[in-house]
Amino acid sequence: MASIKLDKLRKQFKEVLAVEGLNLDIEDGMFVAFLGPSGCGKTTTMNMIAGLEQPTSGDLYFDGKRMNDVPAGKRGVGFVFQNYAIFTHMTVYENVGFGLKVRGCPEVEMKREVGKIAELLELTPMLDWNAGKLSINDMQKVALGRSMITNPGIFLLDEPFSNLDASFRAYMRGELKRIQREIKQTMIYVTHDQVEAMSMADRIAVMYCGQLYQWGSPDDVYNRPVNAFVARFIGSPNMNFIECAYEVENGQGFLQQRKGGLRVPVDAKRRRLLEDRTGPNNLILGIRPEHMKVYQQPEPNALWQGTAYALEPLGPLTIAHTEVGGDRVQVKASGGYRTRPGDPQWVALDLEYIHIFDGETKLVIR
Amino acid sequence: MYQTRPWQKVLRYFTIIIVSIMFFFPTYWMITMSFKPKGEWNSAAGTIYWVPQNPTLDNYKTVLTEYRGQFFRANQSSALPSIRSSIVVSIGGTLFALLIGTLAAYGISRHSTDTGDLPWYIAVGRLGLLVLVMLPFIVLWARLGILATWYGILTFTIIGIVADQIIGRVLGKYYKGAVGSLSFSILQLRMFPPMAILIPVMIMWSTFRLIDTWYGLVIVYGVVTFPFVVWLMKSFFDDIPKELDEAAVVDGSSNWRAFFKVVLPLAKGGLASTALFVFILNWSDFLVALLLTSRNWGTIPVFLNKLVSSEIGAQHGPKAALGLLAVIPPVVFGLLIQQYLVRGLTFGAIKK
Repeated sequence: MASIKLDKLRKQFKEVLAVEGLNLDIEDGMFVAFLGPSGCGKTTTMNMIAGLEQPTSGDLYFDGKRMNDVPAGKRGVGFVFQNYAIFTHMTVYENVGFGLKVRGCPEVEMKREVGKIAELLELTPMLDWNAGKLSINDMQKVALGRSMITNPGIFLLDEPFSNLDASFRAYMRGELKRIQREIKQTMIYVTHDQVEAMSMADRIAVMYCGQLYQWGSPDDVYNRPVNAFVARFIGSPNMNFIECAYEVENGQGFLQQRKGGLRVPVDAKRRRLLEDRTGPNNLILGIRPEHMKVYQQPEPNALWQGTAYALEPLGPLTIAHTEVGGDRVQVKASGGYRTRPGDPQWVALDLEYIHIFDGETKLVIR
Repeated sequence: MYQTRPWQKVLRYFTIIIVSIMFFFPTYWMITMSFKPKGEWNSAAGTIYWVPQNPTLDNYKTVLTEYRGQFFRANQSSALPSIRSSIVVSIGGTLFALLIGTLAAYGISRHSTDTGDLPWYIAVGRLGLLVLVMLPFIVLWARLGILATWYGILTFTIIGIVADQIIGRVLGKYYKGAVGSLSFSILQLRMFPPMAILIPVMIMWSTFRLIDTWYGLVIVYGVVTFPFVVWLMKSFFDDIPKELDEAAVVDGSSNWRAFFKVVLPLAKGGLASTALFVFILNWSDFLVALLLTSRNWGTIPVFLNKLVSSEIGAQHGPKAALGLLAVIPPVVFGLLIQQYLVRGLTFGAIKK
């Protein structure tokens, strides 16, 4: 168990700045997800924590101890790679026991420890098998076991489940949560899948282009995104964005849609924020599909009228793509909602949940 | 599939047969020749002996013992020392090249970021520059009379290496790519034809008293085949995901252990095929051995060349016998590693 502190961690490859001044405080025993699209620097950050890459500048601390110059094998870190990195020329037993063997652990103890891990991961019947002959799912378990055996205080997982089939992935997510609860390690989990991050992590670090955009609980990043990128990246389907401008008419503040004539009234608190703001009157309204309602008849609370564009029936719910005043939005509707393209539709917004972003900086106005 | 017409079939088999004869007849001739007595070696008498009329083992006796047989009056030494020499220097040279080449290849595969091919004029240009830079030194060294002293050779070599690195760095500034890299310097070793470097090597070796020693040959064989090992093994290592050695390192093993316990076992197919390739190169070398050996460490090809007597000219029978014996080690080696070979030879060829 260990806490991790990244202090202005920076990594520059020849011409590419992979990680830019990263500051993070990860508490002991926390389950953290690094979330971001590929190439955002998550894996590089992980490699620096593990000791596989040297930071160009900045410091790394485990439990307050500077780790920059400690070699990878001595950091007490377990690492599970995206492609498992199974030693295919060894048996499952040799794979899982590798970390103990290189530490010169006696055979008897090794047998006991490997047995325990195998029990935990349900690998016992396969211990004598050649690791190269395992299924992808079992390989992933072996990779997990091999990292767990030395009982590292920090556990790093680099998109470990991205090659698994969907049902096993869901199962492994649950298993990983359970394992983490049992052994109480600090875990860092790299993923580009927001569902994985949201469902497992205590804290999420949303990264983009080598920068940390947001650091917070799943609740935070979902409900209080700091910028339009985080807002779009978290949530499925994506948040809807509508370019608009702030206007005042008859003492009432509005967000006026740029492409069409739609208006969204803003409450007093937001109004104050918008009026205090300087700079171009260039805003983005963000609203999640689940915070909108779609109707086939006019409704008193439905602000907008639009036309049906497409429909995605997903079973328990339907995603209604609707064109409103030139912008296309996605709305979550009930599973039985059906409409034909071109039909008129009325859309209601839950004004409580709108997000307003600066059109230039994309930062949230809150 | 298109329909094959009968005449096409005939033509195809006819071609196959002709080509087969072209390839197999020399082998057949060598095998039968090794059993022919002296009188049947050539057709001077007007008859061609397609098969031995009076098969004999005299040829084998001649090369394997100091047996004089039916036709030699002069003292004929046996080929056994040359067989021993071939085995020692070929295996030694192969091991030497594999040892340093494999380590170099691993380093280049894992740590070199240079990619991309170089146009030939850059490659040749770099070498040409090196030659130009070194020419005045040769003249100067010759003037000073130290060209064939150990300190002259040593200083000249060091200047050469430094000059090569400087040229590489300078070119690398103006031309993006691998031109300044160590891997390119290694490849460059192969750009001189062996004949061009052998005379200088001979002078150096005689200065260092390495002529006609097994280690002298081992060093030359090792250095000459080293670039092959590096470039073959690099492609095999490139195919092994670097996450494997990283995983081993994170789990607490040293870099050396990760290399020997994880990477090398996975590359053993490539290692085996590289070893065979290099071994055959060393085994069949004639030129280097001819120039760098005299009495004690002449290899099989050198001994074959000597199988001429003033009385009867070329000794075709003993030559064939020894040639046949010389085929055995590569074939046995090949059979031993056959299981790795097919995979090894294709393994490095295909990029995922």
